[in-house]
Amino acid sequence: MTEVLRIEGLHKSFAELEVLKGIDLSVNKGETVVLLGASGSGKSTLLRCVNFMEIPTSGRIHLEGKAIGSARNGRVAYAERELTQLRSRVGMVFQHFNLFPHMTALENVMEGPRTVLKCDSSECRRRGEKYLDKVGLGWKADAYPSQLSGGQQQRIAIARALAMEPEIMLFDEATSALDPELVGEVLETMKELAEEGMTMLIVTHELGFAYTVADKVLFLSEGSILEQGTPAEVLTYPRQDATKNFLRGHNMFRLPEPQID
Amino acid sequence: MDHNWDFASVLANKTLLLIGLKNTLVLGSVCLALGLFFGLFVGAARFSGKSWLYYPATAFVELFRNTPVLVQIMWFFFAFPIIAPFKIDAFTAATLGLTLNTVAFSSEIYRAGLQSIHKGQWEAGKALGMSYWQQMRRVVLPQAVRRMLPAFMNRAVELFKMTSLASVIAYGELMYQAKVVSTISFNPIEMYTSVALIFFLVLFPATILVRRFEARDTFRR
Repeated sequence: MTEVLRIEGLHKSFAELEVLKGIDLSVNKGETVVLLGASGSGKSTLLRCVNFMEIPTSGRIHLEGKAIGSARNGRVAYAERELTQLRSRVGMVFQHFNLFPHMTALENVMEGPRTVLKCDSSECRRRGEKYLDKVGLGWKADAYPSQLSGGQQQRIAIARALAMEPEIMLFDEATSALDPELVGEVLETMKELAEEGMTMLIVTHELGFAYTVADKVLFLSEGSILEQGTPAEVLTYPRQDATKNFLRGHNMFRLPEPQID
Repeated sequence: MDHNWDFASVLANKTLLLIGLKNTLVLGSVCLALGLFFGLFVGAARFSGKSWLYYPATAFVELFRNTPVLVQIMWFFFAFPIIAPFKIDAFTAATLGLTLNTVAFSSEIYRAGLQSIHKGQWEAGKALGMSYWQQMRRVVLPQAVRRMLPAFMNRAVELFKMTSLASVIAYGELMYQAKVVSTISFNPIEMYTSVALIFFLVLFPATILVRRFEARDTFRR
């Protein structure tokens, strides 16, 4: 198996506050890894360090076997050009979609290939249409974000990231801002991606999704990985108290299997 | 009222007034173009958060926002030539005063416009692999400029009215021409009424345009 992403000894501090306290993590090609943890546990920060939206305080990140940044005198220096180039190979989906409101759905999806990859206009359009179709929204190509539901907007944001044909996709609580009835369509899109072999690192609170789709689940607590394993191991047989409490909170009120078809 | 309104003397001098109007429009346009151009850099400097850019830009903005334009124009005409090694005519002095004032005000419009764009927009561009300037050019400015337009158009209307202040240093814009003619033909009442009317006829359509922009929903939100 080829390793797409490797994180070694990652630390991140904001002023006095140490948010990540030494994270080691490896993601193989085609794997779906889900990060769980209470709010403030550092999972979003971890995700944002992978594409250098936040610059790690120390530690090393490798993409496709190549270390990012250059080590000098025990510190790692990052050139802006290298980070910009790296970000074009890592897709990110945000909690609040962040679609460009002055562009149509299609223009949003074409924007990366056009501005960053400098594709010619027919290639841009081909990619735009391909990935809009992939998330099932080809028919909304000319709509502006404000004319779309939250679920549709998030699927377009996914298409926008996919259009860069990234090596790994990061999802930062992609369904947390959605109305409950719209969560399903976005999770469905993410599940399809996982099944097609996309490499994904996902921060979510959707435990059912994690259980069904993830290859590996990590539980973060206070900036460290407290527990990791298969979904069955972590979600059904948690060993650490913090994990147990977290799962207890999530499962406090649960429906029996609804009888619908 | 026992004043006998007589606009014949105004019409008799319409060539002089038209020259004045032309000069008003030239002065206003030059100051607007220069002011908006340099305002972008001052606004960007204030927006950047870098202290070596922020403090000088802020000092400049506050200086010009908190002194009267009339004083600025007079200062550039009477005081500035003493410290400047070159000659300054009325047009240059008026241009300096009005332009720098417009730079100060428009830089605030730019800064506020840039700040009004949510940081998620920058991040979305950044995550795609855009450089800072690509984020600015493709994502932020197109949205920000739409929000700035009404403020800029208001500013333009203000500026064209302020050009009349240049009459105090004998620049031959509309107000000055009217003053000269009225002292010769003894018709200040008709003359200044006409000046007001001319300003109104030029600026009112512009104001209507401003309102159209303000009313228009951007991005069909």
